[in-house]
This record gives sequence, structure tokens and C-alpha cells, in this order.
Amino acid sequence: MKIMVCLKQVPHQDARLDVRPDGGWIQEDNIKFEINSYDTYALEEALRIKDAGGAEVVVVSIGPERVTQSLRTALGMGADRAVHVKDPEADASDPLGVAKILAAIAKAENPELILMGLMADDGNSAAVPPMLAELLGFASTTSVMKVTRSNGSLQAERELEGGALEVVELTGPSVLSVQTGINQVRYASLKGIMAAKRKPIDTKSVADLGLAGKVGAAAAKIKIEKIYPPPKGKGAEILTGSTDEIVNKLVGKIKELGLL
Amino acid sequence: MSESPGASFREFDLFVPTPEHALLAQTLHQFVAREVEPQAAAHDRSESFNLALFHRAGELGLLSVTLPEEYGGAGLDASAAVLVCEALASSDPGFALAVLAHSVLFAQNLAVNGNELQKKHFLPDAASGAKIGGLCMTEPAVGTDVLALRTRAVQSGEDYVLDGVKTFITNGGIDEHTLGDVFIVYATTGPERISSFLVEKGMAGFRLGQKWKDKLGMRASFTAELVFEGVRVPLSHRLGQEGEGTLHMMRNLEVERLTLAAMSLGIAQRCIEVMIRYANERKSFGKPLREHGQIQRYIAESFAEYRAARTYVYDTARRMDLRATGQRIDADATKLFASQVGKRAADHAIQVLGGYGYMGEYVVERLWRDAKLLEIGGGTLEAHHKNLAKDLARDPARVRR
Ligand SMILES: Cc1cc2nc3c(=O)[nH]c(=O)nc-3n(C[C@H](O)[C@H](O)[C@H](O)COP(=O)(O)OP(=O)(O)OC[C@H]3O[C@@H](n4cnc5c(N)ncnc54)[C@H](O)[C@@H]3O)c2cc1C
Repeated sequence: MKIMVCLKQVPHQDARLDVRPDGGWIQEDNIKFEINSYDTYALEEALRIKDAGGAEVVVVSIGPERVTQSLRTALGMGADRAVHVKDPEADASDPLGVAKILAAIAKAENPELILMGLMADDGNSAAVPPMLAELLGFASTTSVMKVTRSNGSLQAERELEGGALEVVELTGPSVLSVQTGINQVRYASLKGIMAAKRKPIDTKSVADLGLAGKVGAAAAKIKIEKIYPPPKGKGAEILTGSTDEIVNKLVGKIKELGLL
Repeated sequence: MSESPGASFREFDLFVPTPEHALLAQTLHQFVAREVEPQAAAHDRSESFNLALFHRAGELGLLSVTLPEEYGGAGLDASAAVLVCEALASSDPGFALAVLAHSVLFAQNLAVNGNELQKKHFLPDAASGAKIGGLCMTEPAVGTDVLALRTRAVQSGEDYVLDGVKTFITNGGIDEHTLGDVFIVYATTGPERISSFLVEKGMAGFRLGQKWKDKLGMRASFTAELVFEGVRVPLSHRLGQEGEGTLHMMRNLEVERLTLAAMSLGIAQRCIEVMIRYANERKSFGKPLREHGQIQRYIAESFAEYRAARTYVYDTARRMDLRATGQRIDADATKLFASQVGKRAADHAIQVLGGYGYMGEYVVERLWRDAKLLEIGGGTLEAHHKNLAKDLARDPARVRR
């Protein structure tokens, strides 16, 4: 079985984010990056399938040179191979552009299962997985909490609004987008780290994938007009009363917001 | 993209020189947050060594970063050893000390000074953590003046017979009743002749003496006295030739001091982070502490000292060849400087936190207690002064090199 895992590199959660002077994105110089947290759970799920019954795990990422670091992390954790789409032509692709690039790789790799994060910590769009599934004609579902395989079909447990669970069955090659917290993500052991040195990272350009002119800024139908920090001073509410009253009000709020 | 030497020089990261170091740093960061930090306070309080955590570190390969790959190690360099010690000590210096005594004082020592058979026999278990090792240099009456040690090894047929007492041995035991597994022991085999031997648990006459209780710090490491009474050690357990002990000692002391210095870096790093956060949150006289000049001085000085010490330690690591001597000056000087930086940072942190800093919950009091050891173990400050003054007198040009 071959599993493709799509990884996006996003600003580190501790990174200090400043908006670029032109307002088009954040300033990326001098900040640390890491693998999108949702994607790490997708990778862990793939590695568990590999550990349980054998699978080849291919990780794919789109981005500049710095993305190699994330691919190496994935190889150190146990992925077998990596594909890196490194091409300025891919910059500023909209979700459809990203899905097209990933679809081109999937067509070449021919995986039975594609695992990815439900959304990216930075863009929050959650759009790429379903688009990718559509482009490939794969079965797909989102917000997956658990994956099991039996008799050639795939069962995915999904999280619904309010925390309810649903089990769906998918037939044929599938794209699953997973929730965070579904497993305990492993870290790379020294053995894994040293083995990763010998694992290949295959670099591709947009033209290699036959997508010249079809992705990237020029082809994007969605462009970021501006990003800005929310105006200050709104949203905080101070609860008053005795400790018990405050606790009760707080619990009420948490329930109201569906966080419990 | 520009490929000028200027650009690559600027991009070179002394602290994570290769992708492997970057991955190691990432693994350490996660391991420390998830598995080391949650147990640190409890093991300090109960003065006990966490054997399960030690095995877990072995599983991840963290006990053997510098050991050759053929014996189960990762074959990495001194920078990797420094990364491990700094990261572990940022959370649990006591545990870090036990790891250092095992991996650097025992395993790395054996990897450099042992023969093929000895390495094959002992290193894979040391790499995995299945067996725990240590180094026996110090004796009740002899510390800094190591060449005056009294433990004797006398050849008798195919064996040596060892008699003597070693003390303050980290990993000497794993608990009050259980001896550690294997040790490199320095003993005299004649006047002014020191030789090194491998002594294993189970050899007749080798036993655990007193356990040192109530240590000031490093309480998560087990410190013990070890007693050798007519212990028969086969010839196959001698490292190198008779009389080569001093050379083994000198070779190993360099990486030992450098990694101990790295532990002080970890302590300093954590203390500075604690200070910064607290000084932002805590208010007095209507403003955050960080706006008070005297508090600013604690933070700023510790930060500058930490960065200077860190750069010195990692630069020495970059240049260190684990198989050769020649870095004694920098090994002494890094530990001399970093140990005091670590202790000062811990002291500053307690001061910035006031009464809270004095309380266990705020961690820095534990680090303050642990920090002191690094001015004593592996060479006292005075030993570093003595070595440095002597080595620099011999090679004054070293100042500019
Ligand atoms: C927690 C802990 C763990 C340890 N782990 C180990 C271990 O695993 N293996 C091991 O072999 N040892 C270990 N040690 C021992 C440690 O290395 C020694 O304590 C250290 O080398 C100092 O020796 P000493 O205690 O005998 O002090 P001494 O050498 O007696 O020194 C006492 C004081 O006199 C000073 N002094 C001594 N000689 C001179 C001189 N010529 N000039 C100026 N001042 C001098 C010293 O600097 C010090 O201030 C450990 C110690 C501790 C506390």
C-alpha cells in the first residue's frame, strides 16, 4: 500500500508575526517554521498504518528551500521518501492551485490513500483536501478522528458539530483530512534521523508537473488583498462574583461556545 | 540566489550546524517538554534516579549520539553531545548529569580508549541504556589532585587485583540497593603509573558503599561510594596499555568539561526565560517589573552572558575532535565561564521572582541548587584556573589563535 501525506510548512507557533509593509502576507524573514500541526497527525496516522502492516509513506510539500527541513523531519520520523515542489512559480497559488499541484504528484505516485491535515494553522481555509479529491476522483471525507482498514475498504471516524462522532466507509482510493489530537505524534529517534540522511528528496518544478502557467499567482482566482491584526479592545469579558459564581458562569460560557 | 561566501557564512548556524543537528534539537525539544519536565520536580524531591526515563532516552538514541554507528550510536560529533546536555539540563540537570556520566564519561571514553572486543561487548548495551555506566576517578582523599590516587591494581596471573575506594560516583548505583552496571576505574599500577580498567557489577569484592544523601542539588542523579576489595579484573578488561590511564583521563576530560559547560547553558537558558516571562507579568509600583532598572540589569546581563557562553561552548564543540586531545584550554575555559554564568542566571532569576523564586513550584530554586555542582564536578573552578594559567604560560600565542 502506498500512502501520500501532504505537509505544509507554516510559521512556528511561538514565532512573532508581523504583517509585511504591503499588507499582503506576514514577514517571513527571521522567523522559524514548522510542519502544520494538523499535518503532523496525518503523518503519524500514516506511520501507524505503516508500522501495523507495512506501507510506503511518501511525504509531499510545496515551498521554498526551507521546506526541506520539514521534509527531513518527516523522513526522520519514518516516512520513506519525499517530494518537494520547489518553484517560485508555485508561490501565491490559491487553494485550487495547490490542489492541482498535489493532484499532479498523486497521479504520478498513484497512492491508495492520501492523508492530510484538516486545515493549515496559517491559512485556515480547509479547502485543499476536498479539491484534491475532486481533481483525482477519489473518495474523501474530512475532520477524521480515527482510520481503520478492513477488507479493502476504509472506515473513518469523523467528528461532528458539538463533538458527536460519525463513522463513514470509503471505497477505493481516498483522501482523508484529519483533526488534531487524534494520536500522540512521535518524534524522530536518532536512528530515524541518521536513516533520513540516506532517504531521497525528489525536487520538482511546476513545469515538471505539466502545470506551467496553470498555478501560482497569475492563475489564482483568489488573492489576498490584505491581512491585519484585529482591532484592540473588544472581546474580553470580566466575570464577577464569588469564586463559585465565577466558576459557574465560566462553565456556562464554555458550554455556550460549544467548547465542552 | 546569491552563493557568495559571505552569504553562506552568515547562514551557517553554529548551534545547529547540519540538518541532523536540527532534527536532534527538535526531538530534544519535544522529549524534554513531554517526558522530562513533568517528572523533574518529583525526582529532585525524592532524590531518586529515573531509570525508566533513562531507558526511554536510550530508545530515542539520546544516550549514544557520539558513539560509532556500528555499536548502535549515531556517530555524531561534540556539537550533538552539547545539544543533548544543554536541552536536558534546561529542565532536569540531575537527570542530565546521569546521562552525561553514562554517555560521555563511560561510553564515549570507552569508544575512544577501548579495543574492538571491549567496544563490541559493552557499547551496544550502553547505547540502548540496557546497562548503565559511570566513571571512577575521585577517591575519599583525592579529588583535584587525581594523580595522587590510591586505588591500586596489582597484576596476579591473568588478572589484576583491585583494592580501593572511589567516591562521589554518578550512576554508582541506580538506587540504594542496586549497583550500577559497569565502570571505567582509574587505578595505579606502579609509582606515577595510572591504568584504566572496566569493572562490572557481579565481580567478587565489588560493592556499593554509602549512598550520598541530602545533596544540595543534582538530586535526580544517584551519587555513591564504590568499594573494591580484592576485585579480580581480567586482563581483557584493561583499557589500552598499562600506564595509559593518564592519557585516557586527559582525552576524556575535554569532552566531559565541554558537556558539563553545556549543562550550565541549559540552566541559564531556562532561568532567563523564566525571568523574562515573570518580569512581563508581575507588576509593582504600577508597572511591570521589567520597567524597573535593577530588574532590567538582571535580565540583560544574564542574557548577554548566556549568549557569550553559548557561542564559546558551541564553537569549541565545532572544533573538537572526539578522538584527539588538544582542546584542553578551551575545555577548561568554557566550563570555568559557563558554570558561573549558569549559577548567576539562576541567582538572578530567584531575585527577579522574589519570594516566588524561592519556592519549588517556580523551578529556578532547583536550578540554582543544581547549578553549583558545575563549579565543582569534573574540575573545580580552581582546577580550571590552575590548568589555564599553566597551559597559557606554555603557549602564550594561544591567546590570539
Ligand atoms: C554530585 C557529584 C557528582 C560527581 N560525579 C563524579 C563521578 O561520576 N566520577 C568521579 O570520579 N568524580 C565525581 N565527582 C567528584 C568531583 O569530580 C570532585 O568532587 C572534584 O573533582 C573535586 O574534588 P574534591 O571534592 O576531592 O575536592 P578537593 O580536590 O579536595 O578540593 C577542595 C577545594 O580545594 C581546592 N583545591 C584543590 N587543589 C587545589 C590547588 N592545587 N590549587 C588551588 N585550589 C585547590 C579545590 O578547588 C576546592 O575548592 C562528583 C562530585 C559531585 C559533588
